Amino acid sequence: MKNVIKITTTLVCLVLLATPVFAGDINLFVAASLKEVINELSDSFAKKNPGVKFVKNYGASGQLAKQIENGAPSDIFISANLEWMDYLKNKKLADVASIGTFTYNSLVFAGTPGKASSMQDLIKLERIAIGSPKSVPAGEYATEAFKKASLDKQLEKKLVMAKDVRECLMYVERGEVDGAFVYRTDALLAKQAKILFTVPQELYPRVTYPAALTIAGRKNKDAATFFTYLQGDEAKSVLAKYGFATR
Amino acid sequence: MTPLSPTDYDAIRLSLQVAVAATLLSLPFGFAVAYLVTFVKFRGKVLLEVFINMPLTLPPVVVGYFLLLLLGKHGWLGNLLNEAGIRLIFTLKAAVIASAIVGFPLLVRSLRICMEGIDPQLISASRTLGARWYDTLLSVILPLSVPGLTAGSSLMFARSLGEFGATIIVAGNIPGVTQTIPLAIYEYASSPTSENMALTLCLVSVAISIVVLFLHEMMAKKMAQRS
Repeated sequence: MKNVIKITTTLVCLVLLATPVFAGDINLFVAASLKEVINELSDSFAKKNPGVKFVKNYGASGQLAKQIENGAPSDIFISANLEWMDYLKNKKLADVASIGTFTYNSLVFAGTPGKASSMQDLIKLERIAIGSPKSVPAGEYATEAFKKASLDKQLEKKLVMAKDVRECLMYVERGEVDGAFVYRTDALLAKQAKILFTVPQELYPRVTYPAALTIAGRKNKDAATFFTYLQGDEAKSVLAKYGFATR
Repeated sequence: MTPLSPTDYDAIRLSLQVAVAATLLSLPFGFAVAYLVTFVKFRGKVLLEVFINMPLTLPPVVVGYFLLLLLGKHGWLGNLLNEAGIRLIFTLKAAVIASAIVGFPLLVRSLRICMEGIDPQLISASRTLGARWYDTLLSVILPLSVPGLTAGSSLMFARSLGEFGATIIVAGNIPGVTQTIPLAIYEYASSPTSENMALTLCLVSVAISIVVLFLHEMMAKKMAQRS
């Protein structure tokens, strides 16, 4: 019995020790659509600054905001809309002084060529993927566009709610849906799917990515350096390479 | 507490619909498989048992992903069905299939335990009295398996109500069409502003589970008394 207790205690201690927070860690909470850009930038930053380690968390902006609110260790947050950044600002979790625009994007409809060429054609389709509007900004922009185009009622039962914008893209690539509302930059990464049309800008607010240091990240020197690096020329050229608009 | 929205009511209805359909669909297959495993001797029995119990240990997401590969537009079965004009992925049918596969081992297990408990002398007696194997099956084994059938199907029903991993992959998450309770809760829970809505639906889920498990226990007691 004594042995059992000993072993259990050791195991419990090991489990607790398994996730220590290192000083050189930078915790990134970034909207899924920026995955390639941030991967490339963090890799080249890590090359120049050995000892820095990145912990990257990609997902729907709303979901990330919720994780930060619930105490997930995070230093930098980049959202795909202003709403979730404001949410963290109001909760006093984002460093207000650091909030700035990282980049811009636009919304497109991607799918198998020939399926649709305008918003009105969507009614003829069977299944359309969008990000769940409750947490995925791309889905929120899309539903806003439906409402402005007065298509929301007709499309209601056709919408597959994906957990983030990348899942939308996966559904299109596999041919399981007729098309999906994704960002232009996501559609450019697709292998099978093509951009069928760009959603008219008057139907939704401009896709803006605000970036900020979190309150915890403000104290992390490496995170602050990386945050400055994100605003530099190298970051701009990588963003441009993937099709993001920097102004 | 926030009142339920129309899509929440849809989610509750869809969950019940999926669970009932999945359980009914599995009953004949579950009975056949349990019969095979218990009473018939054949080569590769262990393989069959492993295969059937796999969904019990596999992450449901894996089951879902295999189903997507199989039934998807480019999957080999999906291709055939597509030509026949049948679409499964992102429909309620896919949710039923996913739940049926994930819950199947529970049904078979309960049935098997029950069948193994049947007195072999009863079976031998029926055979010596001239009954064919199917006569024995229908008039001896089936009636004596009823406790296993009810226990297994109520467990399976409960498991289907909670199916998430496989369902979200093959049935998608379409409010009012394939969005069941767990999917709706997941959607609420991933957004910071709808925590209360998630809680209301969680309570509904708890209530349904309690009712189902309560019925399960009651039936089990009744069966025990009878025997």
